[in-house]
Amino acid sequence: MENRRTLRTALRWSLAALTMIAVIAGCGGASSTSGSSAGSMTVGFVMVGSRSDSGYNQAVYDASQTVAKDMSNVRVITSDNVPENNSVNQAMQSMVDQGAKVIFATSYGYFSQALKFAQEHPDIVVVHQGGFQKGAFPPNFGTYWGEAYEPVSLGGMAAGGVTKTNKLGFVYAFPISQTIANIDAFQLGAQKVNPAAQTYLVNTSNWCDPLKQKEAASALLGQGIDVISQHQDCQATVIQAAKAAGKYVVGYHYDARALDPAGWLTGSAWDWRGVYENIITSVADKKFTGGPYNANWVGTFAHNDNPLTLASFGSSVPADLKAEITAEQGALKQPGASVFTGPISCQDGTVLVAAGQTMSYDQVNSIRCLVKGVVGTLPKS
Amino acid sequence: MNGIEQALIGGVDGGTALLLPALGELIGQRAGIVNLGAEGCMLAGALSAFAVAVETGSPWAGVATGLIAGAVCGLLHAALTIWCRADQLASGLVVWFLALGVTSVYGTGYISAAISPLPPIAVPGLAGIPWLGLILFNHNGLVYLGYALVAAIAFVLYRTRLGLLIRATGERPEVVAATGGPLRLVQLGAVVTGAGLAGVGGAQLSVGYVGNWFNDMTNGYGFVAVAVVLFAGWRPARVLAGAYLFGIALAAASVLQAHGVAVNQYLLDALPYLVTLVALVLLTGRGSAQAPEALRRALTRSG
Amino acid sequence: MTLSPTSAEIRAAPGRRRYLAHRADWRRVGLVAGAYLGFLVVFGILVAARGIDPLSVYATMVRSTLLSEHALAQTLLRAVPIALAALAVAVPARAGLINVGGEGQLIVGAVAATGAGLLIGGRLPGPVSWLLLALAGAGAGATWGALAGALRTGFGANEAVTTLLLNFVANDIMLYLIYQPWKDPNGSGQPQSRPLADGAALPKLLGSQLNLGVIVAALVALGVWLLLTRSGWGFALRVVGGNVEAARRAGLPVNWLLLGSMLVGGALAGLGGALNFAGLEGQLRPGITVTFGYIAFLASFLGRHQPGRVVAAALLFSAIALSGNGLQLADGLDGNIVDILLGLIVLVPLILTRARPGGGP
Repeated sequence: MENRRTLRTALRWSLAALTMIAVIAGCGGASSTSGSSAGSMTVGFVMVGSRSDSGYNQAVYDASQTVAKDMSNVRVITSDNVPENNSVNQAMQSMVDQGAKVIFATSYGYFSQALKFAQEHPDIVVVHQGGFQKGAFPPNFGTYWGEAYEPVSLGGMAAGGVTKTNKLGFVYAFPISQTIANIDAFQLGAQKVNPAAQTYLVNTSNWCDPLKQKEAASALLGQGIDVISQHQDCQATVIQAAKAAGKYVVGYHYDARALDPAGWLTGSAWDWRGVYENIITSVADKKFTGGPYNANWVGTFAHNDNPLTLASFGSSVPADLKAEITAEQGALKQPGASVFTGPISCQDGTVLVAAGQTMSYDQVNSIRCLVKGVVGTLPKS
Repeated sequence: MNGIEQALIGGVDGGTALLLPALGELIGQRAGIVNLGAEGCMLAGALSAFAVAVETGSPWAGVATGLIAGAVCGLLHAALTIWCRADQLASGLVVWFLALGVTSVYGTGYISAAISPLPPIAVPGLAGIPWLGLILFNHNGLVYLGYALVAAIAFVLYRTRLGLLIRATGERPEVVAATGGPLRLVQLGAVVTGAGLAGVGGAQLSVGYVGNWFNDMTNGYGFVAVAVVLFAGWRPARVLAGAYLFGIALAAASVLQAHGVAVNQYLLDALPYLVTLVALVLLTGRGSAQAPEALRRALTRSG
Repeated sequence: MTLSPTSAEIRAAPGRRRYLAHRADWRRVGLVAGAYLGFLVVFGILVAARGIDPLSVYATMVRSTLLSEHALAQTLLRAVPIALAALAVAVPARAGLINVGGEGQLIVGAVAATGAGLLIGGRLPGPVSWLLLALAGAGAGATWGALAGALRTGFGANEAVTTLLLNFVANDIMLYLIYQPWKDPNGSGQPQSRPLADGAALPKLLGSQLNLGVIVAALVALGVWLLLTRSGWGFALRVVGGNVEAARRAGLPVNWLLLGSMLVGGALAGLGGALNFAGLEGQLRPGITVTFGYIAFLASFLGRHQPGRVVAAALLFSAIALSGNGLQLADGLDGNIVDILLGLIVLVPLILTRARPGGGP
């Protein structure tokens, strides 16, 4: 019982001490952070993972730093490892407290929080990275994305051209629409250069669990695949597994050729700089509202503004295959061209795209079947 | 190589990352101290092993560092629980949070790095055994360390004076204290050694198996290791079985899919915990008697 | 405090305990304050080692969690699930039980509230929906807690262990639901449930960012305090927690009390999960709890399982967790550094537990 009283006193004391620290600190530091001078604009980037993940989030971070370099009157602040729950709301609030006028919420799962935040802060422009949302947006909100499956199909071509076993592997986290489109595009690209190529699937149910990725890669390698691709947030483990087995890899999110120059064929890499700078400029010029980014914006090869680009080629891709891939990239830049051009059938033989038809971006993002040539099933939904 | 062999081989590799921390946890719990911080000690081991392996180019120097980092992590838990007599569960969680924070902050620079994992070594003679040789005797050195430790820990616990002292410390600490036994020293040794093994388990993950580091890369496997010890009823051989079963379940999920078989990942993930729960309930009459007495007290406030 | 002596008690010689008790209070106060200041200095050194002014860091922490209306509101909002999950530890602790299952109970609470929300949609008037969501969450949490309680009273399975294991089971159930049956058809297949109807979400309070959940949580915390300190049930729990045998001899229904404490505890955490879902999240996503349950365990420990202090500790932890944002933005620090600070703060009572074996109340 004596302990209890002493502790209560102790608690009171420490509370007093904390208050004192609060007061001192509060006064002492109040002026230090209001760094936004007149005429400059503060821009915030919220990321879901680590800014140095050699993947999706590092692509965002790198582009944000390029923006800071390119645009002298823009102050860039970033926050990474922000989970997809109310924490993002708190992170955005902190950014506004720091003077941010534009906020990039760069994970798909941030959507509803970002939209709500925009509605509550009409003077702040909030843009969401992840796209594909229907409905009217408030004047200070937009979402943007790229036709991811275009460069992925080019990566599939590299895989199909290099494979000797005709077996390709694909490690994915979850059967989301974008991943299904990517898997299908990868297989379609591969069979464009190698009709015998098949893509084997393994999912890990986790955006980044190195142990599960390693198990997945091992299982695929054991199955006889010799090119492996993936859709995860972190890709180093899969690359390392391919490298250790002397096999090839097609990357996603980030150009990680340096990790395995011989095994790296190519991949898709985000280059967000153009999109970011355009958005910031449109806000600075007061042209955001009603502009292209105040909507569901999608960059495409056809408009030459796809933020997902073809990554660099590794040393194992023969010159003629490179030429073929580059030519296909050129073809995809023609209006109306798409890798999802019929005839395409699903695994069970049903027609997905009839001959002569081409799927729109929205249609591709609602595909629920795996195309013929993919081995594996999606978890039911 | 067929699918079953693949799942078993992957199960042994991944299972070793659970086996080592679980064996460490077993030693500590036998001496009456549970360490929920095993997850944190694994993280500490995984990062420090990877960092040293990257900087020096020597994966084994990394593994040794992982052992030390784990032991340091265990030293904190030991100091709190043995000398300060702090609540073991709270102390373990604090150790976890500290390690999580420290490794996340200092590990950022290593996320993009990659190294070749420890190479497999075929054991001369044994690797030639049909089927078993492929599954059990063509792995990296840490897997063999796991085998050896199971045998060594079983031997020490049941056949030596030290083992008797450890078990007595866990079962009847007051007797050990009353007879002038080195109670605290035994507990300190058990906790630090155990956490060191958790660190080596982390090293198996980062340096031994995948060749990368990622924030929070243990994803709760340290807690699984604690569950494995309970599942195993504090017996080394059963810890081996439990850790490998979990590893095989993990690998099987991938192998089945690679063969075009759909699996319910969530059920598969939950299975080990459910099995452990059922085992706990079924074993209780007999099983809880096997729980070291001091451990039971540590887990029961009302004593 | 206990009937059968624990090893720790035997080691703590009685003379020493009396000696400590008779020491002047201010020595102990100095020790506690010194320890906290010491760790603030340690943290400051850590920060300084990364090339950042520690004073500015502390300034940022205070400013980004307390000094603006928004920041304060966010601190209070985040404290709702942590405080309720911490009380979920405190109630069973009165009866001598250890509930490490706050995380799982928060999750099943959020899951059940989601289920109820999806079922109701926008069909019912707001207050009815709020009530049903809260009840669903509390009911699910109670079930989850009582499950561990029943395994303890019926089979003797240790509740610290079973509650920990049930956390992982709860998480897998949630993932299954989000990824399969409850998946948002308009969410591009992303792992999230369909959103809660606007009418079913908890209302905001008078132009602030706070929502009804904060008031409910405060009232519930007050209720828990009354229950534990002013009711016969609370007294009975303390008797059981103090000495099971004596409680049995006194004719108390010990098993029912143990089970009841886990049930109430689980209900509190489940309610926390439901309020967090209905007030802030509105959509079930994989990371909805992000270790809140474990932070809550430490909060209850820091608050010595006394309701008032437990809530204070939860507020403190909420502020610390929240300050990670400010530290990243203003000082360029890695936000994860707050995990270190959280650990350091709980180290103080852990180190100072010398004189109280078991660490219980």
